[in-house]
This record gives sequence, structure tokens and C-alpha cells, in this order.
Amino acid sequence: MNMEKSHELSPAAEVLPTTWNIVRVWLTIGAIGFGGGYAVLDLIHSELVVKYKWISEQRFENMTALSEMGPGALTVNLLAGIAYRLGGVGAMIAATIALILPSFLLIVALAGVFLAWENNPVVKSAMEGLTAGVVGLLIAVVWDMVKRIPGHWCCFAVGLAALLLGLAFPLNPIWLVLLGGMAGAAKVLVVSLFARKSAKEGPNS
Amino acid sequence: MNIYCELALSFLKIGFFGFGGGFAMIPLMQSAAVHQTGWLTSSQFGAAIALGQVTPGPVAISATFIGYKVAGVAGALTATVAIFAPSLLCMYLLEKFYLKVRGKEITQAIMHGVLPVVAAIILTAAISLGRQSMHSLWQTAVIVAAAALAISRKVSFGLLVAGSMAVGVLMAFSGR
Repeated sequence: MNMEKSHELSPAAEVLPTTWNIVRVWLTIGAIGFGGGYAVLDLIHSELVVKYKWISEQRFENMTALSEMGPGALTVNLLAGIAYRLGGVGAMIAATIALILPSFLLIVALAGVFLAWENNPVVKSAMEGLTAGVVGLLIAVVWDMVKRIPGHWCCFAVGLAALLLGLAFPLNPIWLVLLGGMAGAAKVLVVSLFARKSAKEGPNS
Repeated sequence: MNIYCELALSFLKIGFFGFGGGFAMIPLMQSAAVHQTGWLTSSQFGAAIALGQVTPGPVAISATFIGYKVAGVAGALTATVAIFAPSLLCMYLLEKFYLKVRGKEITQAIMHGVLPVVAAIILTAAISLGRQSMHSLWQTAVIVAAAALAISRKVSFGLLVAGSMAVGVLMAFSGR
């Protein structure tokens, strides 16, 4: 009873959309969401929080933080999480299909054209340009990530170790990701062990 | 093993371990599709990533190109479903157990360990892609220009990729 009342009084005033409404909006975001990542994050915010008011500012922020913990693209995770909140598992699946459909169709069409013309000298040269552009982009992405990495020497050591391992051996990078996660967890365990030890010794000394 | 099963398995793995954003999946895709199986040549892989950038939608959509190259439209569908399914499953679980993982020191520590590794493997992927598909000096110039423009954030990624393609076309006609 009490809970119901507080729910009514909550200022969020979120209007739940139907699955069809969700699919329509997700389809639009999938069709115009160029650039990926944080550029699309702005688009999602302006559509879902500002325009449709389907989720509150607070919930959007929480959901973004949550999405960063999941594997895969931030925007896909965020939109899947929001769709789940709005309409359950069915809405989440339908909405994700809608989100990906425009780029899926475009890629299949372009891939067909590209693979048919692959050996044409102009297409070949265009590809060489494309690949160079992609390498440049990847370098920029790494630059951005390095700036976001917490400035602790442990993080740089882990990154450097992964880089050297990756360059020296034909390793599947999945192993490196797992090792990185374990290194992070191990650091916390060691630190908390030391903290406990010094807390025990503290009063005696 | 059936080619669709192989595709599904590879991309499910990539989907599950692609922590750290869409770009984190690029080295995993490169390892699976170029280094381990030879499904794509290095320059075809470059095209797959580039197409993922010039089209709307997430980076991981490059999986669609790889699937298409390997086994046609059905392959494209298999790879696409497989790479996105783990995201949905994990978001569902995170939603359910959010209160248990939120703010936990250990969750944050794991991400702090993963992030530098992700930066390192993306750099490794860039180096390997560059080494295997660079043939001329102008490509080096494109790399430097694209990286500088992308870092300055003055030009969107899609435009940059389109621009580097235009440079390639021009170089073809200039009869280098």
C-alpha cells in the first residue's frame, strides 16, 4: 500500500510505451545512429529522455553505467537494457532486432557489391585507402582509451604486458582479456589482505 | 563441423568476451576470422571494419560482413545473431543482479584490469592490419591524417573512412 503510494508520487512519471512504439523508435535510432559509441549516446538521450520521456535522467545514467559492465557495444547494451525495463524480454529482443536491421541490410547489400568487384584495380586501391583509414581510427580509439585508463602504474603495467604478449605470440586476444580481468581482481584481493593484516596488527603495535 | 556452427561458435565467443565497448571486438574478430581460420584476407577484414564504420549502427555489425563472405546471407544472419545474443543475455543478467554487483570494489577492479588490455589488443590489431595491408607510402600518410583528425574529434569516424576511400580511388586514377 505504502509502496504503491510512493510509486504514484514519484516524479519520474514514466509513460510505458507499447512494444510497437519501442520497435519504431529503435528502428529510427538504428537507421540514423552514425558514428557509434558516445555520439549515438547523445542521440539516445535526446530521443528517450528528452523527447519521449520514457525513462528518467537518473535511470538513463544508471543504465549507462550498467551497460559499460556488459560485453559488446555500449549503445546496444544500453538500448537492450532500456527496452527490457520498458517491456520485458520480448520487447528487448524485438527492439534489438529493429536496432540492427537497417545496418544489417546495408552491410549485406554492400558486401555483395564489394566482393563482386574486389579484383577491380580501382576498388583495390579504394580498399587500400579504407584499410589505412581504419588503422588510423583504431590508433585514435586506443589514444582515447589510454586517456581514460585510471592513472595507476598497475594499469599501465598490465596494458604494456598485454601489448608485448600480443605482439610476440599469436595469442587469441580473449585470453589476454581474461588475464587482465584476473589481474584486476588479484590486485584487490592482495590489497584487502594487506588491509586486514595491518588492521589486525594496528592496535597491537 | 558445419560452417554455420563454426560461425555461431566463433561469434558467440567474441560476443561474450568483447568487454570494453564495440571496438574491443575488433581484435577478437580479427583473430577469429583472419588469423585462426583464414576466412578473410587482411585487407578484406579492413573492408569489413570500414563498412561497419560508414553504415549506421554499432561497430560489431562488421560480423555481418564476415558471415556473408563465409556463407552468404544465411551466414550473415548467423554471425549477426551470435555476436549480439551474448550482449542481450548479459544485460538481462546485469539488470537482475544489478544491486549485487553495483559499487562492488571487485567489479570495478576487474574492469580496471580489462581496460588496459583492451587498449593493448586494439593497438596490436591495428599494427597487424597495417603490416599486412600496407603497400605504398600514401597509405602511411592516410593513417597519420586519419588518426590525427579522429583524435582532434573534428571529423566523424564515418566521414574519415569515406575520405580515406576517396584518397584510394584518386590514387588509382593518378596512376601511381
